[in-house]
Amino acid sequence: MEPLLTQDVRKPNGYTLDFYVEHDGYAGLRRALGMAPDQIIEMVKASGLRGRGGAGFPTGTKWQFVDKKSPNPRYIACNADESEPGTFKDHVLMERNPHLLIEGCAIACYAIGAKVAYIYIRGEFLHVQQVLEAQIAEAYKAGYLGKNILGSGFDCDVWIHRGAGAYEAGEETALLESLEGKRAQPRNKPPFPAVVGLYNCPTAVNNVETLCNVPLIVKNGAEWFAALGPEKNGGPKLYCISGQVKRPGVYEASMHVTLRELIEGERYAGGAREGRTLKAIIPGGSSVPVLLPEQLDVPASFDAVQKAGSLLGSAGIIVCDDTTCMVWLAENLLHFYRHESCGKCTPCREGTDWLHKILHRIERGEGQMRDLDLLASISAQIGGKTLCAFGDAAITPVQTTLKHFRHEYEAHIREGRCTLVADWRARQPIGAH
Amino acid sequence: MSFHPKMAYDATFHKSSRTLADPGPPFTFTPERRARLDEVLTRYPPDRKRSAVLPALYLAQQQHGYITGNAMRHIAEILEITPADVEDVVSYYTMFYTKPVGRFVLNVCRTLSCALNGAERVTEELCAKLHIKPGETDTSGTFTLVEVECLGACDRAPVVMVNDAWHECVSPESVGHMLDSLRTRGESALTGCHLAVEKR
Amino acid sequence: MIEVVDTVTLTLDGRQITVEKGKTVLQAALEHGVSLPYYCYHPGIGIDGSCRVCIVKIEKMPKLQTSCSTVCTDGMVVDTQSPDVHAARAGVFEFLLINHPLDCPVCDKGGECPLQDFSYTFGPDNSRMEFPRRVFDGEGVKADVDFGPTLMLNRNRCIMCTRCVRFMGLVDGDAQIGVINRGNGSEIGTFNDEGVHSLMSGNLVDVCPVGAITTRDYRFKSRPWDNPSVTDTICTQCSKGCNTTAWLKAKPEWAKGSSLIRFTPRFNADVNQYWMCDIGRFNYRWVEGDDRLRAPLVRDAQGTQQRASWADLMPKLRDRLAQAGQSSPDGVKFLVSAHASNEELFLFRRLTEELLGPSGPSTITVSWRVTPKQQPPRTTFKVPAVDAPNVNGARAFGLVTGAVGDPQGPSNVGALQAAVAAGSVTALFVFDPGPDGTLGDSQWLLDARAAGQLPLLIVQGVLMTSLAKAADFVLPGASFVEKDASYTNDQGWLQATSRALATPGDAREDWQILVDLASGLGVQLGYTSAATVRGDIAARMGGAVGLVGIEGLAFASTMSARTWLQASNPSERWKWDFMYQDLPPVKGAVEPSSLPPPPGLIPLKEVK
Repeated sequence: MEPLLTQDVRKPNGYTLDFYVEHDGYAGLRRALGMAPDQIIEMVKASGLRGRGGAGFPTGTKWQFVDKKSPNPRYIACNADESEPGTFKDHVLMERNPHLLIEGCAIACYAIGAKVAYIYIRGEFLHVQQVLEAQIAEAYKAGYLGKNILGSGFDCDVWIHRGAGAYEAGEETALLESLEGKRAQPRNKPPFPAVVGLYNCPTAVNNVETLCNVPLIVKNGAEWFAALGPEKNGGPKLYCISGQVKRPGVYEASMHVTLRELIEGERYAGGAREGRTLKAIIPGGSSVPVLLPEQLDVPASFDAVQKAGSLLGSAGIIVCDDTTCMVWLAENLLHFYRHESCGKCTPCREGTDWLHKILHRIERGEGQMRDLDLLASISAQIGGKTLCAFGDAAITPVQTTLKHFRHEYEAHIREGRCTLVADWRARQPIGAH
Repeated sequence: MSFHPKMAYDATFHKSSRTLADPGPPFTFTPERRARLDEVLTRYPPDRKRSAVLPALYLAQQQHGYITGNAMRHIAEILEITPADVEDVVSYYTMFYTKPVGRFVLNVCRTLSCALNGAERVTEELCAKLHIKPGETDTSGTFTLVEVECLGACDRAPVVMVNDAWHECVSPESVGHMLDSLRTRGESALTGCHLAVEKR
Repeated sequence: MIEVVDTVTLTLDGRQITVEKGKTVLQAALEHGVSLPYYCYHPGIGIDGSCRVCIVKIEKMPKLQTSCSTVCTDGMVVDTQSPDVHAARAGVFEFLLINHPLDCPVCDKGGECPLQDFSYTFGPDNSRMEFPRRVFDGEGVKADVDFGPTLMLNRNRCIMCTRCVRFMGLVDGDAQIGVINRGNGSEIGTFNDEGVHSLMSGNLVDVCPVGAITTRDYRFKSRPWDNPSVTDTICTQCSKGCNTTAWLKAKPEWAKGSSLIRFTPRFNADVNQYWMCDIGRFNYRWVEGDDRLRAPLVRDAQGTQQRASWADLMPKLRDRLAQAGQSSPDGVKFLVSAHASNEELFLFRRLTEELLGPSGPSTITVSWRVTPKQQPPRTTFKVPAVDAPNVNGARAFGLVTGAVGDPQGPSNVGALQAAVAAGSVTALFVFDPGPDGTLGDSQWLLDARAAGQLPLLIVQGVLMTSLAKAADFVLPGASFVEKDASYTNDQGWLQATSRALATPGDAREDWQILVDLASGLGVQLGYTSAATVRGDIAARMGGAVGLVGIEGLAFASTMSARTWLQASNPSERWKWDFMYQDLPPVKGAVEPSSLPPPPGLIPLKEVK
């Protein structure tokens, strides 16, 4: 499949309004404004577009749930708080193809009857924000945003709201809290944001990549879009491949592509580095279960990856080669989750810290065999008991490494050190150079 | 200020608790920044001024280098919330500083993809070169070293965010050069974003 | 008219129950006697869903759900007892306790602590935590700190339920408390450690489900089991009339009796919800203070006040009063504080009517103090400016202009002041049963007295105020916790205080003093108890607004604190009064019929 979202990202002027308009840009918006909002929602539903942020929820259905009877204004909140470890696709789109997102926001607003879209961009993306802000200003100037867009009588504003360093702000309700000027902590669901969202108004929260797909659907039709991928997994998909591979990066493909192709294919990441072999793959950002190299021959679609025992999530594929100690990996990720836990609900606040302490102890070689049962038990105590999905995400590294690599934990405890000869720290001892 | 003029209370037991935000000098936004904040406020519904707390804090940090107690008070006044609300937000987000930081804040990503590519070694090297531990500022006040979680540039790992700009594909060996050129050339020494790296 | 209430029917632990539509599973369970733990939920400050201990299993839902945030729907099947719910709950309790210091023996909350109680009931029997607990004490930094003028905060004990944060935002209206930092390092704090400065600060102790927030007033003074008895009463320090509970601490064995140790609020949907202000909560020391009047005083020929017995005092008082009355029938005036109960106001009215005929009550001036309270504009609990409980009662008896329920302004003592200044008042009888100063400005009286314009001053009251010091006769009466009496609050609700303590020394209940005084003056009122006074009020003016039902008022007797200490926490009292009325509480069983009826005629309303 030829890239659709990222075809122009490497051209020097690919991000400008002129370039975008020359290449059929804003045709989707023009077409959308000629349609009824409900028609657009139907179209997006028919296209099978699923949220690209991680959960894979059908976008059309989400928009349909937006409470149309509410007397309050409606909002689009674009989730550009791309903070899942191993995920780096959205900032490419925002920086290199900003008008696609702007067009997507405008169409989404039109579809659900909103007048304002807030793009919640993570604080660390200042350089992306600057590009995006300049291009939004261009779009206003050219009449693609603002009052009476393209003479249709439809008004739409797109504002950027800069986050300030919180992984949890990527959770949709926490994002809304943060937009309201509070600490980014999740809310109880129900009510869902579609009914009670930003400022207690109906709100649709969509990922950047999701919104970028919307203009393609409106321009080319739902059938065309659905036909790009396997059933219910239509459209182009961006895959972020990082870790110990030859060519880490963002790759666009249809969801027919298999994980193995993505990781080992010559067009894509090119496989493990010279002399190394694959050991474990996290296919959807750090919050999903680990897959083993023999499990990779499945299409990288939401459904197929789930069937294989993991989740596509945000398609942030992290590849670990045989030098990676899995105890260290779990410890590293739990450090992340412990640091990013918002502290609102008990199991996550207390549990992630406890898990990290135990993992740290094992990693240092001071663990005991009963710690392994304790890890499993604490994980089970967190899983499914937390306010948002963070708790489930945080225990996944522990649970899956324990499941597939229990022998490494045991070796750590038995030997009191890491037994992997190829561990990178063994290769590069401190002060070696 | 007590609401209970008639009531006697025991003597104060302990006055110090957590490390408090530095109150700093009296704080008001410069006219330009205030105008900028007023412009930002128009983006949100008039009764939702609180939404602008993050932009306001960024402006305050720009103005003073870090966020002081007085700045929090000032922002609270403008946004019609309590200073406690502002401190609540400041303390939650990692990108706000409540103490003075160096001219360059080196945020080294330590999460998995960067760690798989040697971020720990980068931190060790930076520590050794600057003679500081993560979280500290070197004696010259030029560099503050912070270990942060995923910055979202995993394909160019390890990544160091210097103030608000990225420096990618760092290696322990290149750290010294990065520090030197930061000292001499400032932020223009950084590799910058995506495209710059690809061009290389 | 019967109110039609939408209901839903669900199955709870195999039992079909019907509850009002919109109730949450937690509320439904509590109402039906199923005990569930909860921390972040408090009926007065809403649902947070963060503590996660109230999780239950609901059929057709993939995960366990927090019952506090799940609204009941028809046909829902809820299970609170299945093994997975038990395990999950125990798991959350283990998390709650891994950092909570087990300093219960020195914690003020110990014994009435929901964390303690629920952990015993629902938690695991041991902890697998092997790492040191998180403590906030550090170099130059304490975990246990000042939290404003009334409170102390121990952050080590905090379980981050954020009830206090939400209380300040939603009820007090000034969000002074925030959460500092995040994740495992989160702590409760005020900006710049300024502490909580609020008229509502005491409620934070009630909402705190652990011993993290304690009052300086009660801190280290008593343990729950040292407070053997409690009396449900109302607060009389302003016109709101908050429903409260007076707690008595047993004195050491070598001393007799007991003393007031604290006041806590009781839920009343119409008056004070779950709250009370700090004035009512903390301003009680005067009741048993050194300034308390314990014996009658008579000024002797040398001008010093001498202790006297009631038997000695009464004839002298009668003679002086009669003398003044005879010399100038219009010269005897009464200045009555609006702290007087309905019974006392009625007695004054009766007395003057009997002595002076129908115009008699015009010699009575009712006075009170007005102090506007400094409160945030957005507060949902407004403390009235009028510092007296019974202005509406005085209105009901025609002693103050205006109708019951009208807004209350400052009192009008101008006419009396003018009469005193003109020297036409030969005797003034002051009745002041409230705390010092609540009578309103009395400097003009003292000045007149010093100038010799007031030949006879009689003070019936509770404290040695400057007015009492200037009086010829001082009659020691009863404070609001020492008598069964009724008051009509600013909304017109008739409520009752109950006798929690005996009057000190020779002091007597005020109705008794007034009846004795009347009989000394030759008026036989014929009352033998406060109840007979109320009966006569009902007989003579039973239909008057603000007095309806006065004869049937129920007064709480002092009861064993154990009776409802079982409710864990004073702040949970609403649960036992309004939900578990006929059900045994968590710890041990209480025979429901042994519980006294709640005082007052305020109809019970269910907690929404």
